[in-house]
Amino acid sequence: MTRDSRKPLGLDDVFIVDCDVHANEPPEALAPYIDMPWRRSLELLGRGPQRYLDIPGYAPILNLDPPFPDRGLGNRTVTTARQMRDDLDELSINVGILFPDNLLKIAVFPHVDYAAALGRAYNAWLADAWVSREEGLYGAVLAVPQDPKNAADQIRTYGADDRFVAVYLPVAGLRPLWGDRMYDPIYEAAEEMGLPVMLHSVGIIHPHFPFNLEHVESRIVRHPINHEFALMANLFTMIANGVPVRYPDLDIVFTEGGVSWVPFCMWRMDKEYAEIPTGAPYLERPPSEYIKEMYFCTQPIEEPARSRDLLTMIDLFDGRDKVIFASDWPHHDFDHPRTVLNMPFDADLKRNIMGETARRLFKLPIPVPVA
Amino acid sequence: MPRIRVGPADEIQPGQPAFVKHGDIEIAVFRVDDGFRAYRNRCPHQQGPVCTGPVSGTLVATADTDWRLAWVLEGRVLICPWHSMEFDLDTGRRLRAQSERLRAYPVEVREGEVFVQLGPRSARPVTPSPA
Repeated sequence: MTRDSRKPLGLDDVFIVDCDVHANEPPEALAPYIDMPWRRSLELLGRGPQRYLDIPGYAPILNLDPPFPDRGLGNRTVTTARQMRDDLDELSINVGILFPDNLLKIAVFPHVDYAAALGRAYNAWLADAWVSREEGLYGAVLAVPQDPKNAADQIRTYGADDRFVAVYLPVAGLRPLWGDRMYDPIYEAAEEMGLPVMLHSVGIIHPHFPFNLEHVESRIVRHPINHEFALMANLFTMIANGVPVRYPDLDIVFTEGGVSWVPFCMWRMDKEYAEIPTGAPYLERPPSEYIKEMYFCTQPIEEPARSRDLLTMIDLFDGRDKVIFASDWPHHDFDHPRTVLNMPFDADLKRNIMGETARRLFKLPIPVPVA
Repeated sequence: MPRIRVGPADEIQPGQPAFVKHGDIEIAVFRVDDGFRAYRNRCPHQQGPVCTGPVSGTLVATADTDWRLAWVLEGRVLICPWHSMEFDLDTGRRLRAQSERLRAYPVEVREGEVFVQLGPRSARPVTPSPA
């Protein structure tokens, strides 16, 4: 049966890959998977009071805000693969790529061995209880930045499992930023295993740039700095230190930043590069050319008053085959796929953004898209 | 235009709307100070189930409050459970973005029973006081 080409595409007419959904991992869920002595720590944490993504010693956030009633409504969690599959079905999403909840903040831990053990436990828990080709739930291997060699081992271990299709690079509270040469083992392993790396941040107050926001009283200020500014800072360092030059087959993906900051990064970096070329000695081409080869997730999709401006924005970075859908389900700022599908894009672009580009990028075993 | 029976007026309490369906359209009827309001259960933002959210108040800081934070409109603010957008239950308008509003329907109370009238958009569905 063929679709009436005059009708707008509906959710069921496209194959939807959601490049960012979150599996909730309370301490007690990871306790059976973590090495001693850290199991004792997670058992203790599991017995204590747990607030939403706000658990000292496990998901520190330094929340300084006074609470008000009936806010924080988006504190939804998805605690099982079954629940995630049901939720994604409800949203008409075919495939989800899993990210953590609490461990979005894993980069802040000063105890390197604890952080590395948490990362190993999370990856083992995903493999055991979440990822499934049949259910369309795929994992991103958590690469703990504090211990790049351990992270590289994890990437090689789980990269051989076809239920893992990416590497998750935590951004919140990271130091140094992802362009630093200390992370080379992670990039080397990801490139070797053919897994894209996906940078993902989260809301946090932390002494490390650009998260040192303890003086900012409004979340409306902190939130975009936690996400977009942090992604920009990491992108700059990755360009300046030549990550895409030294790992030319590595695909780099930015999540939870929308797309409108990408042209700024291209043009600003090109300007700097023209005036201070010694600042990026690894580069063989202007920065913008590398940035155009990167991928950007839609969420939080910009919703300009003139929705066609979004298409203009994507064209500014030649992004029609580089923008990929993400919902961020079940977080408070998630985007329903309908919101992206209803943007004034042509049918081919809609199919690419909603799933076809991601299907190619992550080599997903879906042979034929929905007719 | 069809008229939909919702139920006994005295069973609709503040903050606890009654829901009725007509085909694909789901409508919630809220009790407010001077009567009832009926809104489609679809947020104009991303079409979330807005009427299933809590009814609360909100924070403002205006010249009237000497630019200090104040908690206002208690019991009159409907908060969408998807993205926390706030709507004035009295008018259906989105707070701080007056051009956006919920789809509203006229409400009628007859002999203690609440009815919703489907049809053209109602600007402000004022109803008689609850019987």
